[in-house]
Order: sequence, then structure tokens, then C-alpha cells
Amino acid sequence: MNQPALKQVQGFVTQNAIYIVLVVLIAGIALYDTNFLSFTTLRDILMQSSTRAIIALGAAFVLITGGTDLSSGRVVGLTAVISASMLQTQDYGRRFFPDLPDLPLLVPILIAILAGLLVGLINGIVVSRFSVPPFIATLGTMVMVYGINSLYFDMEPNQSQPIGGLRPDFNHLGTGYFGPSGPYSVPYIVVIAIAIAGLVWVVFNKTRLGKNMYAIGGNMQAAIVSGINVRWNLMIIYAIAGALYGLGGVLEAARTGGATNNYGNMYELDAIAACVVGGVSTSGGIGTVQGVLAGVLIFGVINYGLTFIGVSPYWQLIIKGLIIVAAVAFDIRKYLVKK
Amino acid sequence: MVNAMENAYILCISIAHTKGKKGEILMRKLLATSLIAALALSVVGCSQSGGSQPSSSGGGAAGGTPSIGVAIYKFDDTFMTGVRNAISKAAEGKAQVDIVDSQNAQPTQNDKVDLFINKKVSALAINPVDRTAAGVIIDKAKQANIPVVFFNREPMPEDMTKWDKVYYVGAKAEESGTISGQLLVDYWKANPDADKNKDGVLQYVMLKGEPGHQDAELRTKFSVKAIEDAGIKVEKVAEDTAMWDRVKGQEKMAAFLAASGDKIEAVLANNDDMALGAIEALKASGYFTNGKYMPVVGVDATAPALKELEAGTLLGTVLNDANNQGKATLEIAAVLAKGEVPSKDNTGFEIVDGKYVWVPYKKITKENMDEAK
Repeated sequence: MNQPALKQVQGFVTQNAIYIVLVVLIAGIALYDTNFLSFTTLRDILMQSSTRAIIALGAAFVLITGGTDLSSGRVVGLTAVISASMLQTQDYGRRFFPDLPDLPLLVPILIAILAGLLVGLINGIVVSRFSVPPFIATLGTMVMVYGINSLYFDMEPNQSQPIGGLRPDFNHLGTGYFGPSGPYSVPYIVVIAIAIAGLVWVVFNKTRLGKNMYAIGGNMQAAIVSGINVRWNLMIIYAIAGALYGLGGVLEAARTGGATNNYGNMYELDAIAACVVGGVSTSGGIGTVQGVLAGVLIFGVINYGLTFIGVSPYWQLIIKGLIIVAAVAFDIRKYLVKK
Repeated sequence: MVNAMENAYILCISIAHTKGKKGEILMRKLLATSLIAALALSVVGCSQSGGSQPSSSGGGAAGGTPSIGVAIYKFDDTFMTGVRNAISKAAEGKAQVDIVDSQNAQPTQNDKVDLFINKKVSALAINPVDRTAAGVIIDKAKQANIPVVFFNREPMPEDMTKWDKVYYVGAKAEESGTISGQLLVDYWKANPDADKNKDGVLQYVMLKGEPGHQDAELRTKFSVKAIEDAGIKVEKVAEDTAMWDRVKGQEKMAAFLAASGDKIEAVLANNDDMALGAIEALKASGYFTNGKYMPVVGVDATAPALKELEAGTLLGTVLNDANNQGKATLEIAAVLAKGEVPSKDNTGFEIVDGKYVWVPYKKITKENMDEAK
């Protein structure tokens, strides 16, 4: 092979490393069990990755600004509980609000998403106005949100019982699909995730907010000097992230037909891991929607595929950990090379 | 396998230490990318060839024994580990079981159920994370026509009636209370001296678990009821919550002793940890030496509790029978997987109301403590 052609191949591999890993993973699993390659598998993995993708996209906003958001998992739990508590059937024995009439489906969902947005806004204010490092600020809200959620969840008459008996229309949002039943169906939540990904792509690439986000993450001082209102932009970005976690929580409740205050536990780390593996730089300024989606899918394939072929859950954890560390090792090298 | 891991590790290090120009950096990326994949595959290969993990990648009942997908609410729960091992043991020669960890998250468990359905298992055995979420799992199973056995955490009754191929295996929480009461009844009847003040009434103190917790409420209520049902009059000297905790059990018992001392004739605790705490407090005020005795009962039959049983300080405890819960779950799932209807004849377990198997708790005293080991 001549030099330029080799360079091209190398360039292609670097640009697309993440997608190649994804394909190799799928191919490897399929080699062990050809039954893995089916539309049912595809649909299942997409379905399971949908909420994760929405949450990871939220985290990507914050990561690209050079921040971190540890509150996402607990916000998912909060909004799952809030939406579920207001969407129980009238004849259910243990209603969270015994006298609450049937609300239009959108009302509790919006309330829940607003709750998520509010937590995000608080994160944004604490980070931008009080200059608290994002890791600490969101660590604080993570703990507080769990406390608030647990208080709410423990209210009379629920007293920390799992919230069940969710309305069929709400449940349908999480488990329903377009098209015929079976492998060729397209679940609503996959469509929702794709729509959100499209919106986020537009924000990242076509709006001033997106450009500011990359600028802040790339070099905060330069961003300030060039007249970007960093505080304002950070507040908006954290709030959007919070709203996305909120939507993720609502969909988790809808999909499982229930909620407890333990929902979303540790999702923050999954979201950050997916972003990082998808090429979002932990030092900020770099990251794409496609990359994040690929990162989410890699973990989706690992979760699903390795269980499919019977790899012990303990080994799965080891593989996941290795992939995360390897991805960041590259990320850091990329950064060093630039300097 | 170890070799593969070692190689990968060495490769990793060598990549990290290589210094070079931009082209080489790209090359390194390529190398490491394939490394990740190789690593993942070597692990996969290991567990496949090792065969330590029961896998049913063939799916279906074609290969002779049917495959059963089992989801445990979380792997690091001592009691459920006992149930899990019992399931694996009972499955030998009967079924291929594929046991997965739901990591204490209902969404994860639902994902595993989807996976089992895709793998076309012949039956599901599910230990729900949240009992209220069973409805969705039943819908999924029904749509795929795969029978499902829930175990250890009981789904809501309205969900259980959604489909006829839904079963439940578990223990009746109130029975643990009843049996701990019966332990005291046995002692009271066998030892006339147990009635220390000779008033014909059993004066007891109660150490409760977390307030509002179903087990705590049921055990408290039914242990006292069992004593009353045996025709013994009772008087509650004191009752307080010790939050399932050994240290708190000790503190509360010390307070009870300080307040009522010799009036107390028996100690009921909602679990073994609190009972052991109470025993410590009793020892500190001179009990269990020189013939001074106090009957203490707990629930759970934990290893430390068995030690106290052996020492004669703990009167008795109650065992939640992990072995039989696992065995019953597997037997019913295996029968369902073959497309048959479970009955006492083909499972060895009594089936109540067409879908429930109640595995009894066991009374554990010094005499039969080997059963709990």
C-alpha cells in the first residue's frame, strides 16, 4: 500500500474508532451465537438504549462545557417517582394521591420534566454564580435530590411503598410501538430518543448556544474575553441537561410500569461513561451527538449481547471498566498531542 | 484465558509507552481498538469454553432439557444467593438455567426479561425488584406465551390474575411471626418456672424492626397472636423499635431491663440481630450465668444466631427456607416449560388457588439447628 492510501485508512480508523469497536463487538458476539443477529435483538437493544441515550445527551451538554454532572441518576429517580405518583389508575388499591382525578397524560409528565429542569437550573446557578466546581456542586444536588425524593416517596399514605398501578396510557408510552407487533415494530421510546437526538444535534451544531457551549469548554477565558455571557449560558445548559434527565426518568417509569426512589441509581456514571467512550472530552470542548449515541449503544450491546451468550455478570463489569479506561486513555493522549 | 489477559495487558503498556509521530499515534489507536475487541472476545470465549456459567444459547426445548431464564433481584443478597444456588442444584438434569443479576434495578430486570424472550426460553423465573412492576413483566410474558414463575417477592393479586400461566413461590411473612410465638409457647409449657412471678401471665418485651416495614408489623402482630392462640395470657411490658440493628437491640434491651428488670419473662425480636443485641444486654446484667435465664427468640437463623443457639443463650429462631423456595421455583418452571400444568404430583409441592406455592418457615432450636446450616 502506498503512503497516502495508508494515511487515509489510518485517518478513517481514528475518526471512526468507536463505530469500529461497535461493529467488532456485534460481530464477535454473533460469531458465538448466530441467533444474536435478529431484528428482535436490534429492537431490544435500541429500546434499552433509548432512555440511556436521552440521559447521556443531557450529560454531554455539561461535559462539553468542561463540567461534570453527578446529579443525573437521582434526577431520573425523582422524576420517575413524580410522574408515576400522579399517573395511577383510579381503582388501584394504594394510590399515592388517593383523591387525585385523572390528569391529561402530558400534565404530570411536564411537571416531572420541570422538576428535572429546576434541579439542573440550581446546578447551573451554583456552578456559574458561586463558582463551585461542577463535581462538587452536582455531588451536592445528587445527595439532596435523593433526600427530597425519599421524603416525597415516604409521604402518607404511600410510606415508601413502590408506586404501581400506572395508567395504561402512560405505560403504553414506554412499551407501545408503531407497526406490527414483534421484531419489526418500532417502539415509541426509540422514536422519542431519535427525535431528542435530532433536537440536540441542532442545538449543538446550528445554534449560538451550541457554539458557546463548545467555546466555553474549549477555553473559558477566551470565551469570556470574546464576549460570551458564560454564566447565563452555563445556567441554560445545566437546565437543559436537567430537563433531559427528567424526560429519561419519566420514560423509565413508563417502561417498567412502576417507580421507587431507587430508580436511576448510578445512571450518572453510566451516562458519563457512555459520553467518554463516545469521544466526549472530559476536559471539555469536544463531543458529538453521533459519538454519544455510539457510546450508549456500545454499552447497550455489551449489556445485552454478553448476557445473551451467557458471560457472567462479573466479567461484564470487568469488560465495561476496561473499555471506559481505554477510551479515556485515548482521549487524554489526543489532548496531549494537540499541545 | 489468563494468557490472553496478560498479553492484552502487556500490549496496553507497550502502546502507552511507545513514543512517536502522528502517524504512529493513529496506528496505536488502531492497535488498541482491536485490543479492546480481542479482550472482550477472549473473555467471551473463556466463559463459553469454561462452561461454568450455565448457558442456553441454543434456546427452546429442542436440545432435550428446556431452558429457563432466571432473574434475581440482586446477586449480593445473602438469602437470595441461597435461593439461587438451590435453583442451580435443582436444575441439574432437568433444565438449562440461565441466571442473571437485575442489580436491584427494575429497568435492568425488564431488559433481562426482553432478552430471555428473544432467546426463546421455555419458562421464566423472576424474583421481582419491585413487586408492583410484575404487571409489565406478565404482559411481556403473555405476549410471547412464555409461562412465568415469580418467587420470593409477591406480585399484587390483581397482576397475578392477568394470565393463567403465572405462578408464585414464596413464604407467608406472617408465618415467621407465628412460629417465633410458638417457640415461646413450647418453652412456657415445658418450663413451669418460666412464669417468674407466678401470675399465670407471660410478661414480654418486643424489639421491633423498622416501623412501617411489612415484616416488622406482621412478625410483631402474629408472634403475640400465636401465644394468645395457645391459651396463654400475655402482658406487654415494653415495645420499641431497634431498626433490625444489633447495637440498637442491645441499647433498647438495656433500657427495658433498667426500667422493668425482673418483671420481664420473655424477649421477642423481629430478627436475629436484635435478639443477639438483647442477649448482650442480658449478659451484662447477669443473665445466662448461675441459672439466671431469659428466653429470647429471633427470626432469620443467621450464622451468629446459630452460634448463640448452640451456646444456649438464644431459645430459638425461624428459618426462611431458601432451599425449598429455590427448589419449588425450579420444579414449577420446569413443568411449565414442558407445556404441562403444575400439580403436587409433578412438582412435589402443594399448589394453592391454582397459582401459589407457600414454602413454610422452619422452627429452629438447638435440637434441629443443623437444618439451618
